[in-house]
Amino acid sequence: MEHPVILSTLFGIPEEYKHVFYTWIAMVILFIVALMARRRLELVPGGLQNFLEVIIGGLEDFTVATIGEKGRKIFPLLCGIFLFILVQNLLGLMPFCDAPTANVNTNAAMALFVFIYYNYVGLRSWGPRYIKHFMGPMPALVPLMLPIELVSHCARPLSLTLRLFGNIRGEEIVLLLFFSMAPLVSTLPSYFLFLLAKCLQAFIFYMLTMIYLQGAMEHAH
Amino acid sequence: MGLAKFFNINDRNYIDNLSLAGSIGLHMVSSIFVGVAIGYGLDYWLDIYPWCSGIFMLLGIVAGFKNVYDDTRKLVARWRSETEEKIGKKK
Repeated sequence: MEHPVILSTLFGIPEEYKHVFYTWIAMVILFIVALMARRRLELVPGGLQNFLEVIIGGLEDFTVATIGEKGRKIFPLLCGIFLFILVQNLLGLMPFCDAPTANVNTNAAMALFVFIYYNYVGLRSWGPRYIKHFMGPMPALVPLMLPIELVSHCARPLSLTLRLFGNIRGEEIVLLLFFSMAPLVSTLPSYFLFLLAKCLQAFIFYMLTMIYLQGAMEHAH
Repeated sequence: MGLAKFFNINDRNYIDNLSLAGSIGLHMVSSIFVGVAIGYGLDYWLDIYPWCSGIFMLLGIVAGFKNVYDDTRKLVARWRSETEEKIGKKK
């Protein structure tokens, strides 16, 4: 089942690369919105600036409340991830567009980046002592805990990838099925449900990234 | 603002705990998959088929349970701090 009319076919993009095309569309949307908000910065915000300030300010308060003051340093990355995934997810609800997160490769790229970044943050803030995070509570258990911790750390990008991919892809398939069964009557109510679910998935990705970074920055238990 | 209120962005209790609780199940499953994948790769490399797969699958299952344990501990710690905040506000 394919979309009947879709933007990437109009641009002549091959089917297997269309998630890259829609990722670029999401980036262009974010760039345009950010430049529009930057052009008219006011002391008393109104309209677009107010909307962005509510989202970004709320997320910053939330991050600082969870991680502490150290969270302000990594907050730009977290907020970027949230907004990027949110726009990518919501592209799936736009007519003529498709969600790039419904392809497993986009999510795998983002999850691998998060994996590398939190290990880098852990290495930067602890140095060689970062290995203590993998060693468990007591020295006698190290031969057992080291492979267990390695497996559970390697499982993090996999679970990040599969959660986002499964949710967004499932919603796309459900929308297509509903549309082929009863156009408008069944798709309009499910749009509201999926709007909530897609925002929630973007928030979950942000939240788990924050928890992993927090675990890399705080003391090993 | 309507959107922030609707999605409870400023309410730590709700979406925070919901996203943590929703991630527990997949954490358990994915660590088993990673364990089997590592074991199978080692077997393919060393040519000793059943051994590494079995050992690393057991390690993956243990790691999955450990993930669930850690997540639950985080959730409980968060709930506890929230109830303490609420009690502190009442006083």
